[in-house]
Amino acid sequence: MYSDFGQILLFIIVAIAIIGAILIANKIIRPNLPNEEKLTTYESGEDPVGNANVQFNARFYVVALVFVLFEVELLFLFPWATVFGRPELIAQTNGRWGWFALGEMLIFVGILSLGLAYAWVKGYLDWIRPEPKKPDYALKIPKDLYQKINQKYSTHR
Amino acid sequence: MLPIVLLSVFGIVVLFLGFSKSKNILLPATLLFLLVTLIANFVDWNHQYLYFNDMLWGNNASMVFSGIVLLSAFFVVALTRGFEQEGEAAQPAEYYGIMLFSLVGAIMMISYENLIILFVGVEILSVSIYILTGSDKRNLRSNEAALKYFLMGAFATGIMLFGMALMYGATGSFVISDISEIIGTRAWNEQSQLLYAGLLMLLVGLLFKVSAAPFHFWTPDVYDGAPTIFTAYMSTIVKTAGFAALYRLLAGSLASLQDYWFATLATITVLTLLAGNVTAVYQTSFKRMLAYSSISHAGYLLIALTSLTAKSQSSILFYSLAYSLSTVSAFGVLILVSQQQASNNYDAFNGLAKKNPFLAFVLAVSMLSLAGIPLTAGFMGKLFVFTDAAQKGTIWLLVVAILASAIGIYYYFRVLIAAYFKEGDLATIRIAPFYKVVLIIVTTLTIVLGLFPDLVLQLV
Amino acid sequence: MFSEATAAIPDVIQQVKIQHYIFLATALFVIGIVGVLTRRNAIVIFMSVELMLNSVNLLLITFSAYRSDPAGQVFVFFIMAVAAAEVAVGLAIIVMIYRNTRTIDVGFLNKLKF
Repeated sequence: MYSDFGQILLFIIVAIAIIGAILIANKIIRPNLPNEEKLTTYESGEDPVGNANVQFNARFYVVALVFVLFEVELLFLFPWATVFGRPELIAQTNGRWGWFALGEMLIFVGILSLGLAYAWVKGYLDWIRPEPKKPDYALKIPKDLYQKINQKYSTHR
Repeated sequence: MLPIVLLSVFGIVVLFLGFSKSKNILLPATLLFLLVTLIANFVDWNHQYLYFNDMLWGNNASMVFSGIVLLSAFFVVALTRGFEQEGEAAQPAEYYGIMLFSLVGAIMMISYENLIILFVGVEILSVSIYILTGSDKRNLRSNEAALKYFLMGAFATGIMLFGMALMYGATGSFVISDISEIIGTRAWNEQSQLLYAGLLMLLVGLLFKVSAAPFHFWTPDVYDGAPTIFTAYMSTIVKTAGFAALYRLLAGSLASLQDYWFATLATITVLTLLAGNVTAVYQTSFKRMLAYSSISHAGYLLIALTSLTAKSQSSILFYSLAYSLSTVSAFGVLILVSQQQASNNYDAFNGLAKKNPFLAFVLAVSMLSLAGIPLTAGFMGKLFVFTDAAQKGTIWLLVVAILASAIGIYYYFRVLIAAYFKEGDLATIRIAPFYKVVLIIVTTLTIVLGLFPDLVLQLV
Repeated sequence: MFSEATAAIPDVIQQVKIQHYIFLATALFVIGIVGVLTRRNAIVIFMSVELMLNSVNLLLITFSAYRSDPAGQVFVFFIMAVAAAEVAVGLAIIVMIYRNTRTIDVGFLNKLKF
């Protein structure tokens, strides 16, 4: 007879067989009328533009790096969580265990958030860094006129 | 434990000090932090301690090792001059912060009791050094060095980890005193085969970090490509910490298997000595020569490690101190000269002694010490290491080592010949007073330790 | 192997022999090594290194489960965290090089030679 893992193998074989049978049946039954629209890549109704492996903006990359780091560091919260709420440990230490464990984790998360704060102050989290370009042609209209208009309409907002 | 906590906190403080308006505060602050840590390092003097659920272990010897690492870091940081020469792109706060963080890794490598701590320490140190190597972002050489070091370092880490996992499978523990006990209960031919495979892979990983042949191919490229100040940093600190870690591993848990790993390690020692010294002869760049010289010094340190006598630890300790001091002063002179000449070659030193007798003297002492000429610390270091080998009775190893140091004299003296006997148009180099003080201290220490080695040895 | 400790291990785990896991981990590790040694794209080399680290994780978990000893699992946590830090630094280095040279082929990097 087969073992438990034999069942898994059987399961895999049956799964492949059923899907294969459905696909083949599909192929035989369906009408085959391709046109341009049908052959394009499906992007939820949008027209696909350009190549699939386009270069992403470098900003995605920095944010992704920061995200990966902080996400993985949170891994250490799981083993901590298993001992944090243990009633017998809390009872043994007269309730101090909970505060101690909480304090330890606050220090850990605190150091992590210091790192996040550093990235923030350095400006790596700003999604779009505005770099306005000053027009280099001389303007005939005096600047304070614009300011007056701005002031006049800013009260409406 | 205290130095680790202090260095972590100080590292964060330095990072945030970088936001302050006055950029000049960083260097003195970092130096102060390092001094405080250096003092705090010796708080537990004469106590053997176990911290963090028996994960960190320390005694006087490990404290002295940490002291050497901190002291050489102090000297290197003092030679940075606040990274003023590096221009606008430099991020001094981050460099200092990363240097402080990397020292955490070094101290963990020195005083680990659990292999987890060894791994985390190695990684903290290496990842910091990858960043420092590539810190010259626009320079293709620096980029290339960083990528090479990173890829090979990560590769070596993977091998080291596999070794640790196999050792865990064989013994069921990561604590090295437990491993030692479990190994001790069986004869060498009754050990699990996993143990031997694991031991070899773990050794390969660690030997890569200290650049022993045949795992040394990254060293010249990385040392050459990295900014000179960080080359000085990594050649001193990684080596000291790496050998402390290797000693702790071999003496702490695997001493009973010495018959098994002796042949392997002795072969690697001979290869390292030959590869380092012979290739160093053919270099035209002083910086690259120092990289090969660091490989050859790894070879001398490996002799003490292979012998593993009662005195091995103090020989490794003294040798790494002597090596660190001489290397720091050699790089200190190189930084000044290469800035003047825009070249790292031997030719750049032509006629150094005429206008800059002080720099030439510092260079001379450092080269004599690296070559192992009497009256310098390097000589005493070599003497202790060779005595270990003689005690163990491996005369053939001793013969190779002595031949290797004879070759060494040739290439160390080449730069001295350039500095003292060749004509050159090197102008007087202006040395900042603080820089000069550091060079004087390092040179004096090299000579004093050569005359009175007991000053350090009696500590252990 | 491990006969002394098998009492504490659930039967479900024991159904697969430990050797299978060791072989699987070793195979993954060797695939990683071959990838590092043969590929020329820095990112693919890097992925191979990650494969090596993950095979170590598998091995540690196996030993940990078969010995009923949590130390191995704790080590895995540390490996994962450190690997993430390494990924961040490694990718940063690769992007830095890409910005300067517009390539991540390691063969292109040949400025440093004997």
